[in-house]
Amino acid sequence: MAAAGSLTSSSIPATPRNVLALRLAVAVFILCVWEGLSRSGLFYGEVVPSLLAIVVSLGKLLIDPVFWRNLQVTMIETMASLAIGAGIGIAVGIVLGANRFLMRAFEPVVYYLSPTPRIILFPVMIMWFGVGPGSKIALGALSAFFAIALSTAAGMRQIDPILIRVGRSFRANVWQMAFKIYLPAMRVPILNGIRLGMGTAIITVLLGETKLSNQGLGYMIMQVYTRFDMPGLYALLILVFVIAGGVNALIGHFARD
Amino acid sequence: MSISEKTPLAQEPALVVDDVVKRFGRGTEIVTAVDHMSFSVKQGEFVSVIGPSGCGKSTLFNIIGGLLSDYEGAVKIGEERISAPHPAVGMVFQEESTFPWRTVIDNVAFPLELQGVPKSERMDRAHHFIDMVGLASFENAFPSQLSGGMKQRVSIARTLVSQPKILLMDEPFAALDEQTRLLLGDKITQIQQELNQTTLLITHNLTEAVQLSDRIVVMTYRPGQVKRIVDINLPRPRTSDVVGSDAFGHYVAEIWNDLREEASRGMADSESAASRRAAHG
Repeated sequence: MAAAGSLTSSSIPATPRNVLALRLAVAVFILCVWEGLSRSGLFYGEVVPSLLAIVVSLGKLLIDPVFWRNLQVTMIETMASLAIGAGIGIAVGIVLGANRFLMRAFEPVVYYLSPTPRIILFPVMIMWFGVGPGSKIALGALSAFFAIALSTAAGMRQIDPILIRVGRSFRANVWQMAFKIYLPAMRVPILNGIRLGMGTAIITVLLGETKLSNQGLGYMIMQVYTRFDMPGLYALLILVFVIAGGVNALIGHFARD
Repeated sequence: MSISEKTPLAQEPALVVDDVVKRFGRGTEIVTAVDHMSFSVKQGEFVSVIGPSGCGKSTLFNIIGGLLSDYEGAVKIGEERISAPHPAVGMVFQEESTFPWRTVIDNVAFPLELQGVPKSERMDRAHHFIDMVGLASFENAFPSQLSGGMKQRVSIARTLVSQPKILLMDEPFAALDEQTRLLLGDKITQIQQELNQTTLLITHNLTEAVQLSDRIVVMTYRPGQVKRIVDINLPRPRTSDVVGSDAFGHYVAEIWNDLREEASRGMADSESAASRRAAHG
């Protein structure tokens, strides 16, 4: 944008190379500050462990079968909650998007409930589904549901009405309208909803695991924390961030038009 | 197949519009969009319906296309009264209406897909009509890679592939510039003559109507009635060169005479509506 105002103007062109250089510079800066703080001795014990210790822990984690087993548990819980949340969310979103009356009646409810912390329902889920994966899946599904239902409903209303008229003019039946026009036209908002739902599902599942569970990455984080294994804790957190970010990027790739 | 003389038209009209009335609103707010309109389209004939903006042309388009089922009178194909989209009528819309997630060939094959035509056959048939509208080298392109005129040609091919008895078009070139419009007009004439395609074109563009039509139905502004039906006796096969001829100019002047009155009524109407809004706003 050549005509952009002074707020957005920059003398450095945003080439991929420059962007990469800036990112690397910031990363190196943060790592230096971290290492400096670690060596300064200002913090109690191992609260800010040295980079070397974290890297060693990272290496140990990656060859530890316990880590992989817990990762598998968390991934299965997240995927199951996403599948359930997406299935119900897309169905509810289509109904809300298609029906003005139901939309008036229920969309505000969904909308205003969506940012409430689902974790307060965790005790209820434990009572219903036990301390195992069931309660995390239920809670994760609940949190994914809101994002997916809302973006599906919005996507439904954004469909260009001309495409629906084209479908009608060629006498498409209900199923053909749904699968050949509505769903492909809503692909981007639905995938965006799934991406958001995925993010909240991971957060909720991990949160649930840290509260009360006997397996999963969240459980593992709490185990490492109670042992006060700070390098191990940071290594684990790094892996969780990488996994969550990677999954998000993957879905984002499909959501592009 | 090209037709050097006009083929003798069959007796049975392809489409009959018989005393059609459509009103919108209720109580004192009733607007009559289409008011007792009657005309017919013969087999192989190209008929244009022309009128100023707001005269109810698009309402008529939707009624004939079966998208507006609640109307009085009858639009008939043979003995059948249209009250839902009819297989004999293929619609081309004014708006850009290609599916952005489908390639050109998949867009064109869409109606065949709905009918359950086997894949290889529908690709062959789609290919034939894409070739006809001159987009053979763009079969695997997505609509976002095409110009407005090319997208409209995709829409036309998509409608032709279902081989409708009647091609019904609502200002398909309205969003295009004048040169593109003239050239696409050539394409339409050529296709229409090749297929002997019965066509009904809804338009507000006078030169387009005269360039393409055998007959022109001139509509009045609100309520939309048939003001006059004009026969266009320009030679066929026709190209856009006809635009320069004396006869063409004569027809344009003659129809403009009828249309001017209606268009100025429409303009006065929208201006007074605007000044009312300004006064209240």
